[in-house]
Amino acid sequence: MFDISSQALFGQLLIGLINGSFYALLSLGLAVIFGLLRVINLAHGTQYMLGAFAAYLLLDHFGLGYWWALVLGPLLVALMSMAFERTMLSKLYDIDHLYGLLLTFGLALVIEGLFTFYFGSSGLPYPAPDNLRGTIDLGFMILPIYRGWVVVASLIACIGVWLLIERTRLGSYLRAATENPTLVQVFGVNVPLLLTLTYGLGAALAAVAGVLAAPIYQVSPTMGTNLLIIVFAVVVVGGMSSIMGAIVTGYVLGVLEGLTKVFYPQASSIVIFIIMAIVLLARPAGLFGREVQVTATHTDTASDPALGNLGYVIIFACVALLAVVPFFLYPVFVMTVLCFALFAAAFNLLLGYVGLLSFGHAAFFGGAAYFTAHAVKVWGLEPLTGILFGGVCAAAMGLGVGFLAIRRQGLYFAMITLAIAQMFYFICLQAPFTHGEDGIQSIPRGHLFGLIDLNSNIAMYFLVLAIFVAGVFSIWRIINSPFGNILQAIRENEPRAISLGYNVNRYKLAAFVMSAGFAGIAGGTKAIVAQVATLVDVGWQMSGHVVLMTVLGGLGTIFGPIVGAAMLVTFENYFADFQIPVTAIIGAVFVLCVMLFRRGIYGEVVRLFRLS
Amino acid sequence: MPDPLLSVRGLKAWYGESHVLHGVDLDVHRGETVTLLGRNGAGKTSTLRAITGIIQKREGSILLDGQDLLRTPIHRVAWSGIGYVPEERGIFSSLSVEENLLLPPAVSREAMSLDEIYELFPNLYERRSSEGTKLSGGEQQMMAMARILRAGARVLLLDEPTEGLAPVLISRIGELLKVLKKKGLTILLVEQNFRFARKIADHFYLMEEGQIIISFPVSELDAHQEMLHRHLGV
Repeated sequence: MFDISSQALFGQLLIGLINGSFYALLSLGLAVIFGLLRVINLAHGTQYMLGAFAAYLLLDHFGLGYWWALVLGPLLVALMSMAFERTMLSKLYDIDHLYGLLLTFGLALVIEGLFTFYFGSSGLPYPAPDNLRGTIDLGFMILPIYRGWVVVASLIACIGVWLLIERTRLGSYLRAATENPTLVQVFGVNVPLLLTLTYGLGAALAAVAGVLAAPIYQVSPTMGTNLLIIVFAVVVVGGMSSIMGAIVTGYVLGVLEGLTKVFYPQASSIVIFIIMAIVLLARPAGLFGREVQVTATHTDTASDPALGNLGYVIIFACVALLAVVPFFLYPVFVMTVLCFALFAAAFNLLLGYVGLLSFGHAAFFGGAAYFTAHAVKVWGLEPLTGILFGGVCAAAMGLGVGFLAIRRQGLYFAMITLAIAQMFYFICLQAPFTHGEDGIQSIPRGHLFGLIDLNSNIAMYFLVLAIFVAGVFSIWRIINSPFGNILQAIRENEPRAISLGYNVNRYKLAAFVMSAGFAGIAGGTKAIVAQVATLVDVGWQMSGHVVLMTVLGGLGTIFGPIVGAAMLVTFENYFADFQIPVTAIIGAVFVLCVMLFRRGIYGEVVRLFRLS
Repeated sequence: MPDPLLSVRGLKAWYGESHVLHGVDLDVHRGETVTLLGRNGAGKTSTLRAITGIIQKREGSILLDGQDLLRTPIHRVAWSGIGYVPEERGIFSSLSVEENLLLPPAVSREAMSLDEIYELFPNLYERRSSEGTKLSGGEQQMMAMARILRAGARVLLLDEPTEGLAPVLISRIGELLKVLKKKGLTILLVEQNFRFARKIADHFYLMEEGQIIISFPVSELDAHQEMLHRHLGV
């Protein structure tokens, strides 16, 4: 049935084993950090990248070679990461764990933005050390020595860390503090220091992987991000509570991925995500996992001021303002803002009112953009129908994704949605109807109801405004309905909501589907406005973007996300041409926001004027 | 009388917004065993948790041998000689029995060696490589106490060591406490089991609603019998 040469089979097995080595090192680091700090370290890919860059820069500036880099790189990255933990991350331990995730995300944006700015996004070469070059003939295959070394080195590192944790005094502190940090502290162990060291250890492991990877892959600022998302899937499969589980799952999934490349190459980029979905259905806690309850302790959500007569006047004034704006500002720009504002409002329905952080909302936004584009361009659907079709498709996707994702809570939920969205991204990359890298271009705007020509920007604008107002109004109605009250009850106290007899999973799923549907309508509208639907809209960066908008503007308020979206789009638009790295600045603003004003800009303004 | 080893004055404490201790005064002298009595919710456990620093929001003064525990970081409190056995015992399931015993760093020269501990608790030796929480309730209680003895604590804070144990184990713990007392250790014991406490305590404090309402030495116990029955409902 399969006509596979043993050379190809072993070749792919080796590649699988090498990828597995990186998965194992990275998921081990993530698991160690998560176990003790209860933080999903979104900067883990960045720390991996920093390891590779440390190797590159040590050679370039100081002439220090590979073996020096293997020692100094992880040490430098660990020191920087520990400084970050001490000065910033540790300040967030007492509040909702989601903020730790958001802070590390902001840090990742800053560092990657700066590195892309200084080094460009194309890869830089890094030579393998002299004594590891060449190949050995093993009889059944030719083994490049360096690749063999990578597998051995990562095994040594993994086993070393396992021994450190399972067999030493320091490791017993770490395991005990994972169970009950307070008691360990009462016994006289300096737990805050332990947390800092642990974060440093996790970061160092990522940096070791980075140095090992430098001669194999090119050294580039974005080398860590895609890898990290796969590692999240690995971690969900293995379960975060087991050190050995993280290591074994890493290697096994790497090999499985390599085998898929031999037998069914089209699926090789998504096989790990498919395995994740199956594991979630069969054994939600992961193969080696015990369910660790990470519940929200306290979120700084702002609240909308009660709407008095003045409030309604302000809202009408805003809508009226929006109605005249296209005559003064470039309509396409304002339309883009409105699309993103609706997207953020839809996302906030989930994060702000149910407390679920989805890190994969781009799948619904960008997916709907594709569906709408296809429906309008290929099937010749009327534009508004096309947009609604996109919304319905996104809601249907939301039903599937939500069904899987709500099986886990809190931080796992974020990782699962991120991983599923990434799987969707790979599907979009390969599926014929999305046209891969090109995307669907020159989408006709068509005639609204067959009558109004939307090629006029003003006509298009008013359609977008109508969709936006209708969308935000619907979301407002949902939040203020009895259904919305139950959602907020779940956010505040889930066990209580369960004890009151609510099937909270069904409510969460319903909210997820609605949020996906509105995100889809926003995405479909954007596709008609911009007349293109591309991979950018489904990428994880877009998911990150909507998180930024919502948190910057103000979680859990109707208007916050809209303010955040307007700010961010404006920001990107005006700074795009400047000689400064926009991503880094946005990341820095986000970090400030997470550290200092967690209510968001709108939330803080409302509080300032004591409107609530 | 010499200065007390542990002296608590006007101790107030809060869990978040809720005010749980309303000015607790108590003294524990060197080598003495003091029992805190009181109903559920009277503030006994909270008093211990405030002394160890697990409750951080507190006012008043807690002096241990002259050292101000209010200004001592949580992880330094043990180093001034305090050993804490929480009500839920706090045995770690991811650690073996031996690892559990070795967990608290040795904080003084009185720290016992593992051999001495195993001599005192022979059944822990037999189960030294078992998972900590696989042991019976009584064994876990022994382990929780053995653990702080190994570390060399001089002042033991014991939160209901007899809770949920069979009578034979309770008397076993009673004997152990007598041995420790003979060794000169200072013990602050929270106990609802009044009959158990009367056999080992030198001094009693009765708590109600976050305050000490009365204190008396064991010699006056019979005189206070009726009042105690009224307050404790035993």
